[in-house]
Amino acid sequence: MTDLAPSGALLLVIWGTLVGLDLVSVPQVMIARPVVAGAVAGWLAGDLEAGLRVGVLFELFALDVLPVGAVRYPDYGPATVAGTALAADSPWQFALGLSTAVGLVIAVLGGFGLQWVRRANARAIQRHSAALAAGEGGAIRRLQYGSLLRDAGRAAGLTVLGLVCAWVLAEPLARLDRSTALGLTLVAMGCGLSAVISGALRSAGRGGRLRWLGTGALVGLIVAALR
Amino acid sequence: MNGGWRAWLRLFAVQGTWNYERMLGVGMGYAAEPLLEDLKTVDPVRHTEAVVRSAEFFNCNPNLAGLALGATARAEYDAVPGAQIARLRTALCSPLGALGDQLFWAGLVPLLVGAALIGVALGAAWWALPAFLVVYNLARVATGVWALRTGLDAGMAVGNAIATSWMSRAIERVGPAAGFSIGAAIPLVSAWYLEAIGWPAALGAIAVALTGVAVTRWFGASLTTVRFTLLALVLLVLFRWVLP
Repeated sequence: MTDLAPSGALLLVIWGTLVGLDLVSVPQVMIARPVVAGAVAGWLAGDLEAGLRVGVLFELFALDVLPVGAVRYPDYGPATVAGTALAADSPWQFALGLSTAVGLVIAVLGGFGLQWVRRANARAIQRHSAALAAGEGGAIRRLQYGSLLRDAGRAAGLTVLGLVCAWVLAEPLARLDRSTALGLTLVAMGCGLSAVISGALRSAGRGGRLRWLGTGALVGLIVAALR
Repeated sequence: MNGGWRAWLRLFAVQGTWNYERMLGVGMGYAAEPLLEDLKTVDPVRHTEAVVRSAEFFNCNPNLAGLALGATARAEYDAVPGAQIARLRTALCSPLGALGDQLFWAGLVPLLVGAALIGVALGAAWWALPAFLVVYNLARVATGVWALRTGLDAGMAVGNAIATSWMSRAIERVGPAAGFSIGAAIPLVSAWYLEAIGWPAALGAIAVALTGVAVTRWFGASLTTVRFTLLALVLLVLFRWVLP
């Protein structure tokens, strides 16, 4: 982990809060996508390469999620920020495995946090049920702003927790022997690929989309081989 | 009826109060407030009833919520009976959810994310990521403006407007394109990672990937890819600890 100045850590917390809010609450402009969250976090931490490597890997995991209806899913945005902070200033081949482990735990906790926010929103609505039944616009606004604040608190807390984990694990990561670190990275990469392949196969079903998926894979293989 | 632009802006936070009881309901009420303001001077009783209805249970894809918002607001001004407006809201939940999810979450998002991943893997991250954000948000903003306008114009006939719109044709096209994009991204991203590590070691990662696909498909929802990953990482650390 890079020796972040307090201002750098603060910027990462602000960025983690924004991407956490973007996932569901506001404005859903897709900065919550790990590939975007990781690139910007890497730039803020002074290691764009680490941000891209961590961001793309978490994007593979995120592509396994279809965030429809009331489905429960991990929050990969703040998790990517934390993973990037841990991987920054280290060779990514040796840092990616541990960054993935930390990030996935943070992402799962973020998913639980989302459930907490949703239940807290429901309790707030029950408290304001009389005002809602009376058609008070002020009550709707208070509920809306309160819920946004709650989600911002969740995202900020999650990012801070992730950065603390990254700070604590920076030393063990530096002492980890190279073969174990590389092994963790290979496992993380393999699992990321399994996530995106599983998600792509599930989305494709058995119709025309599956054929296009196969055609795309063939074209991608040819381009990769020609490079 | 004024307040259209303010309502459109508020739709960006339509999921702000998401919960398991009213789902998007309160967020819809928040977005409806500017549209219903003029009703207060015309018919204050009707305005109060409309505000109550606007915040009741509702769920759909957030990018198409404008269709329901505009249609119900228009119906309130047209003095359509309240029970009929409530039925319209309920009836719109499933189709707007299904259409929006297919168009955005299963279509446009994987299509553009796949393209962005291809760009990163080919060394063009500086333009691929901004391009992803710009193209997605242009499509999303255009859809949002269209949805609110169509809802406001159609009122209770919004179902017909949806059925004859461009959406089903777009879904037919965007799904295969998303499949192609993700399909092309997978080998390119794999090569981007694995070429930096060396192909002998890469075979191990590919073996893990194939095992992950097989095992997670076999166990279904009880073994998600996240659980599989954490399990595999812990097993590797234990293995290295036992056999240093």
